[in-house]
Amino acid sequence: MTMVATSDDTPVETAAPSTRRQPDRTALLLAPGVLWMLLFLVAPILMMVYVSFWTQTTFKIEPTLTLKSWVTFFSSDTYLGALWTTIRIWLIVLASTLLVGYPAALFVGLFVKNKTLSTALLVLCVIPFWTSFLIRVLAWRPMLGKEGAINMILMKIGVITQPIEVLLFSELSVIIGMTQIYCVFMVGPIAFMLGRIDPSVIEAAQDLGASFWRIFRTIILPLSMPGVVVGAIFVSVMVLGEFATSAALSGRKVNLLGNIIVTQVGSLKWAFAAVAGVVLTVLMGAVVAALLRVVDLKKEL
Amino acid sequence: MRDKSWPELVGIQVKSVLQLKNVHKAFSGVPALAGVDAALPENSYISLLGPSGSGKTTLLRVIAGFEQPDGGEILFAGQRIDGVPPHERGIGFVFQNFALFPHLSVAENIAFGLENRAVDPVTDTRVVAAKVRDIIGLVGLSGLEGRAVTQISGGQKQRVALARTLVTEPSMVLLDEPLGALDANLRTRMRGELRTIRERCGVTFLHVTGSETEALAMGDTVLVLDRGRIAQSADAGTLYGRPASADVARFLNCYNIFSGAISDDAFESPVGRLALGGAQQKSGEPAYAIRYDRVAIRPLHASAAGDEVRIEASFVASEYSGAAINSFFTLDDGRVFEVETHLSHAAPETFEEKARYALVWKREDALVFV
Ligand SMILES: Nc1ncnc2c1ncn2[C@@H]1O[C@H](COP(=O)(O)OP(=O)(O)OP(=O)(O)O)[C@@H](O)[C@H]1O
Ligand SMILES: [Mg+2]
Repeated sequence: MTMVATSDDTPVETAAPSTRRQPDRTALLLAPGVLWMLLFLVAPILMMVYVSFWTQTTFKIEPTLTLKSWVTFFSSDTYLGALWTTIRIWLIVLASTLLVGYPAALFVGLFVKNKTLSTALLVLCVIPFWTSFLIRVLAWRPMLGKEGAINMILMKIGVITQPIEVLLFSELSVIIGMTQIYCVFMVGPIAFMLGRIDPSVIEAAQDLGASFWRIFRTIILPLSMPGVVVGAIFVSVMVLGEFATSAALSGRKVNLLGNIIVTQVGSLKWAFAAVAGVVLTVLMGAVVAALLRVVDLKKEL
Repeated sequence: MRDKSWPELVGIQVKSVLQLKNVHKAFSGVPALAGVDAALPENSYISLLGPSGSGKTTLLRVIAGFEQPDGGEILFAGQRIDGVPPHERGIGFVFQNFALFPHLSVAENIAFGLENRAVDPVTDTRVVAAKVRDIIGLVGLSGLEGRAVTQISGGQKQRVALARTLVTEPSMVLLDEPLGALDANLRTRMRGELRTIRERCGVTFLHVTGSETEALAMGDTVLVLDRGRIAQSADAGTLYGRPASADVARFLNCYNIFSGAISDDAFESPVGRLALGGAQQKSGEPAYAIRYDRVAIRPLHASAAGDEVRIEASFVASEYSGAAINSFFTLDDGRVFEVETHLSHAAPETFEEKARYALVWKREDALVFV
């Protein structure tokens, strides 16, 4: 009799508290993060949206709602040009980091069989970050300049007779600089995904008769797509918000949305800065959402 | 329907499908294969038995072409294939961990080889679909075609791996511990299925296993690999009854083995003189082997008949294994001696722990290696 009673009771007793306590604990664990995000991410963004509708005069800004800053932004060639430049440079840098990064990741993640060596190689990719941003950008100047190393060498071996001027202080130098800085963010996630591919899966494809390029297209590329998407998100978010590289390497010829925001804030034009900020945030959101569409990360990771 | 079309499609009429001649392979100086010689008959099931680290996987990888041998010859259907890349060999490989393509469905996995092989790919999707449908029926996967391979059971993955290889119509299939990842029940069932599938395809299967029961149950021919060499190649009955050396007998896990030396009419073992009388077998190291199920347990006072060998030992424990009971004894030198009694022959006796018994067998039942 007692046996029956206890065996009947125990599951109820143990099951009930655990299901009851679960939501409490979840809420407790999430609270700090949620609070932090609300306070320092969501609130400032809402504030920025709000400020973009304030009235801006030359010397002060008033909380009277108006569409004037928005109209100015979308009817000005300068601002629209900056938006277009931002998108163009983002697309080019995204393509070039992928072009440079994917083969590097392929080598590190797939062809280097030794795990320690591949980790060491990944660390090598991070070496540029051991110097400060400013030094790295400055180092490009004697490299790309009119009398810089590249021009000198090309002239010496007689490939060119005139120094190539577009190397520095142009869109090209900004693209070269950004590719160099952000490439590692592409290599990392892709190498990680490639490293997770079971070598016997590739051997199986080989055994079934597929050539290297077939295996690459049908097995390796699809299995590394989540890495490409994560890398692309990293690079996109960083490049879209860039202002420092273009300021340092373009000689103010290339104006990105980021540079617009910096100048507007510098001259206390908060409403304009906020409009540019909102546009940039929406752009980033759209890009990230589109990239997430490409691969179902939840399923793949 | 299959058994007719397969050999025709494969188009090979050679008796010995694969020949290995003195195949060597070392990893950084340590030999994994030390001169493997073998000839595998066409259209048969061959099991390759060997303890862990004996070089089974290495041998399969060398045959498949994933590793290059350091020396020796591999002839496949009469042609030398060492140096030929894996995909041009016409040899299918089923991996121990299945190695399915994780992003493809069951049907896509199976169709992969047909669609993507460099030599003679099948471009007509209807032909591919028909072949895939046939093979899915053959291995018993109907209804799972669209399933992701991450969402099927171990046994089903095994079948996908097999189907994926079979659909490309290889002339030979290598299976590396194909049942190793399955639970005991499924393993027994898959044994029968693998044999049936092979018979329907009519190609040679080379099945690697570390389990002697699996090797004996499945192989028409059993190869025993020991320290990188083929120690014996025989049918299951011969192997079980007449192992070629003490080492092979040890892998079979059904012999008590004594080392020692032959003198006149007896074998000098650590537990005393064992009278000779049975078969003698040439092998490198002298040893005396008696099968677990050839030994009778008698009370200590019982004496042996003229044609019998008798030793004494103390009882330790016994263990039921279905139709038989295995009793364990310790000999005077501390070694364990095992006796298997079939319950159909005698009702289970109970023995007293630590008590001494006489263990008796017929002289001619013992195998003596000289
Ligand atoms: N890639 C490798 N590099 C170095 N040594 C290796 C390599 N592959 C195998 N070996 C060595 O070769 C020997 C044979 O290995 P192999 O994998 O063929 O054994 P096996 O019979 O398949 O064993 P198991 O039953 O455990 O799978 C082992 O001593 C192993 O350590
Ligand atoms: Mg192995």
